Amino acid sequence: MSDKTPAVLVDQVSKWYGEVIGINDVSLAIDGGVTGVLGPNGAGKSTLFKLLMGRLKPNQGSVRLFGVDPWTNTAPYRRVGYVSESERMYDWMTALDFVTTLARLHGMTREEATARAEHVLDFVGLSDVQNKEIGKYSKGMRQRVKIAHALVHDPDLIILDEPLHGCDPIARTSIMSVIRELGSQGKTVIISSHILEEIERITEQIVILHNGRLLALGNLHAIRALLDKHPHRILLTCDDPRHLASEFISEDPVYGVRFPEEGKLEIQTNDLSAAHAILPRVIVDSGTDVSAIENPDDNLESLLGYLIGGDS
Amino acid sequence: MDAKGRALSETVWTRLDRKAGAITELTIRQLRHRISTWVVLIVGVLVMALLLAFYVDAIRDDFEPVDNDGDSVDWDNDGYPQGQENKYGTSDWDGQEYPGSGYYVMTGEIVWNDDSRFHSGNHTWEGQGYLDSEWVDLDYTGSRWSGLIDWGEVNPCPEGDVLDDWWLDWGEACTYDDGSYFVSGKFRASGSVSVPESGYMQWGHMTLASYVEPEPASMYIDEDGILWDGKDVSDLETIEEVDDDGDCLANMNDNNRNGIPCDVIWILDADGDEIIEIRADYNVNEDPEESKYLGELSHRTFIIGTGKMAFVMMLGIFIPLFLALGLVRDETENGTLHYLLSKPIHRAEFIIYRLLGYLLLAGTYILVLVLLMALVTSLIGPGDSLIRLSDFPVWLGIGLATVLVLAAYGALYNTLGLIAPKYGVYFCIILGIWEFIMGMFTMTLPSASVPMLSISHWALQLIDAIVLIAWPDTLQYTQITSAFGIDSGLSFFWQPPVHTLGTQSPVVALLVSITVLLLITVAMVGIGQASFKNREIM
Repeated sequence: MSDKTPAVLVDQVSKWYGEVIGINDVSLAIDGGVTGVLGPNGAGKSTLFKLLMGRLKPNQGSVRLFGVDPWTNTAPYRRVGYVSESERMYDWMTALDFVTTLARLHGMTREEATARAEHVLDFVGLSDVQNKEIGKYSKGMRQRVKIAHALVHDPDLIILDEPLHGCDPIARTSIMSVIRELGSQGKTVIISSHILEEIERITEQIVILHNGRLLALGNLHAIRALLDKHPHRILLTCDDPRHLASEFISEDPVYGVRFPEEGKLEIQTNDLSAAHAILPRVIVDSGTDVSAIENPDDNLESLLGYLIGGDS
Repeated sequence: MDAKGRALSETVWTRLDRKAGAITELTIRQLRHRISTWVVLIVGVLVMALLLAFYVDAIRDDFEPVDNDGDSVDWDNDGYPQGQENKYGTSDWDGQEYPGSGYYVMTGEIVWNDDSRFHSGNHTWEGQGYLDSEWVDLDYTGSRWSGLIDWGEVNPCPEGDVLDDWWLDWGEACTYDDGSYFVSGKFRASGSVSVPESGYMQWGHMTLASYVEPEPASMYIDEDGILWDGKDVSDLETIEEVDDDGDCLANMNDNNRNGIPCDVIWILDADGDEIIEIRADYNVNEDPEESKYLGELSHRTFIIGTGKMAFVMMLGIFIPLFLALGLVRDETENGTLHYLLSKPIHRAEFIIYRLLGYLLLAGTYILVLVLLMALVTSLIGPGDSLIRLSDFPVWLGIGLATVLVLAAYGALYNTLGLIAPKYGVYFCIILGIWEFIMGMFTMTLPSASVPMLSISHWALQLIDAIVLIAWPDTLQYTQITSAFGIDSGLSFFWQPPVHTLGTQSPVVALLVSITVLLLITVAMVGIGQASFKNREIM
């Protein structure tokens, strides 16, 4: 990017709705790459995005998109694509119609707009159904139409509010690859989710929001490395939990075992990476059939729990 | 401007143009996908079709001759129509009195304070008293209407004193055992009459009768046309020429008090080409030919009435209620606004383009409807030419008024929908009722000041102005209808425009109305924009 101003600059912004706090004193700057905004429902992700898109006016602090206040000026939207959390669309329109119409709002002619719309619909993998009415689309297809509309003017900054919400696994994978592709094209992408695993598959650069506060900002792996040093559980589903437990208990990273229910073994560890390193060898040595390995602590809630715990 | 500057301005302009095109197109397509749109538009078409049916019916009826003054009727069944009786000065309520029947000459009377209360002779009498008769003309009989005593129904007189204990209605008589009567009314008898104290009686005789040929009733239909050469006001017509049927001459009416009975005063405007006032004596020019006046009158009344009631007050109020109220509000509530507002388009612009889309749809509909109505009515309307081209400016004026009303109400309703998303519809309904009432007031009292606070007032004034521009003689027609008592709805639906700023010019009135309607629209759009600009969108 040629200009010095970051794509997104949020400076000590607070936004409250009456008594309810949406965003509390958040400051951050984002420029380039894919950034995941993580937080449980109600953490303030959508509020943050609506502040960025000039839908809401901050009560305190300032919001700048490419150095311009989006509340008073629509100029930044030439360079921004936004996928809102709203589910409603013009169901009577075809996807091509929908994207073309919105493209024309960028000042394109009808022909330019149609060409661009076809291009982006192809990019999100909808070119074969682009002449069907949106009302007949599945959830994942609708999300991809929304993404296509946000990309139609080739923006530098793309903001996606929960684009994977409610999608089936196949749609999820295809949307993720679209987002990764955008990141690799050198665009600034901001994507929100309340599922750690989704974000992890797309990017390492994350922002964690909780109760309107900025909880953490940085590399997901660095944050996770901190988390690894804390008590963790690994849940194995196998045919002989007792035998397997006896094998594990002698290993160094494991400090305890538990049998939560029939056919399940829970291993307790202080070093998740080390535990995972020994896991395959121990299982093979024991000769037990293991049908599933789960990390029940490897989710946003435990990450948040850890971060909040670390704060206090 | 250099080439670069020009190119830049063109770019800005065409880009604006493209955005406007995209949003107006989207708006129209959205409206087309809503059932309520179609319902309200189809109801409009049905109403117009119904009105046309009435129009065809009415226009056909009006060409049949109508007896405007009702003087072709022989009310008393004596064989002479009222017009002929008027000419001879006889009553059309008295079957014994008709042209040539002779008339009554009074020769004596007894009034309430006369000392002598007795008279005898062979007379035609009128009054109250005891009659001791040698002969009574039982054929000279009548009823309360004519004042003639009804000899067919004479009852015995009650006990007691007349005037103190009992009383007879006019046209009644009662009889005593000795064959004498007490009479109250007109009768013909030979004998002696004694008049009670404070009673009255007069007597006289009828002149000799002569036979007068009864005239056919058709002679008294359309028999008194309007005489007006349209040029010279000083050249008054002679009395005989003005009152064709002579029914005024019988009474020598001078209602306009200019000393000349049975004439018409025509008052022209300053440049002498329009009649602005007519002062006619009663029974003059009161029964003109329908094809000449009433056909034209009802045709114009229909067009003006349809324009005001159906187009401005019905379609003008209801179409925006269904189409404009949710123009921006619904997008906000549906969440689809996010797609539109994440594009580089200002919210204020957005409102304008939305309204533009609505106006394009509703305006096209109105114009098509107006032109259809114009075509049908100008083809079957009165007149010698195949098509009445002079109607088209009026219909287009009605279209213009309706479109301006649609713009003003559209902007108003849209703004209300934005300011009060939940209760906007109730405000709109209340406003609609207010507008309707103010519209009715405007039609009956155009110069009242309260209706000026409504949108419909200015639209109706606009139609009044355009009518006077396209048909300058409409003023003449309203004067003719009121001066000669010809019944038509024109004076209810049309009065000269009020807002001429003292110039009497309908063009000024037209421009004033258009300006006010546009200002209302701009103000409403502005309020909506101001409210929307500072709105946080969830």
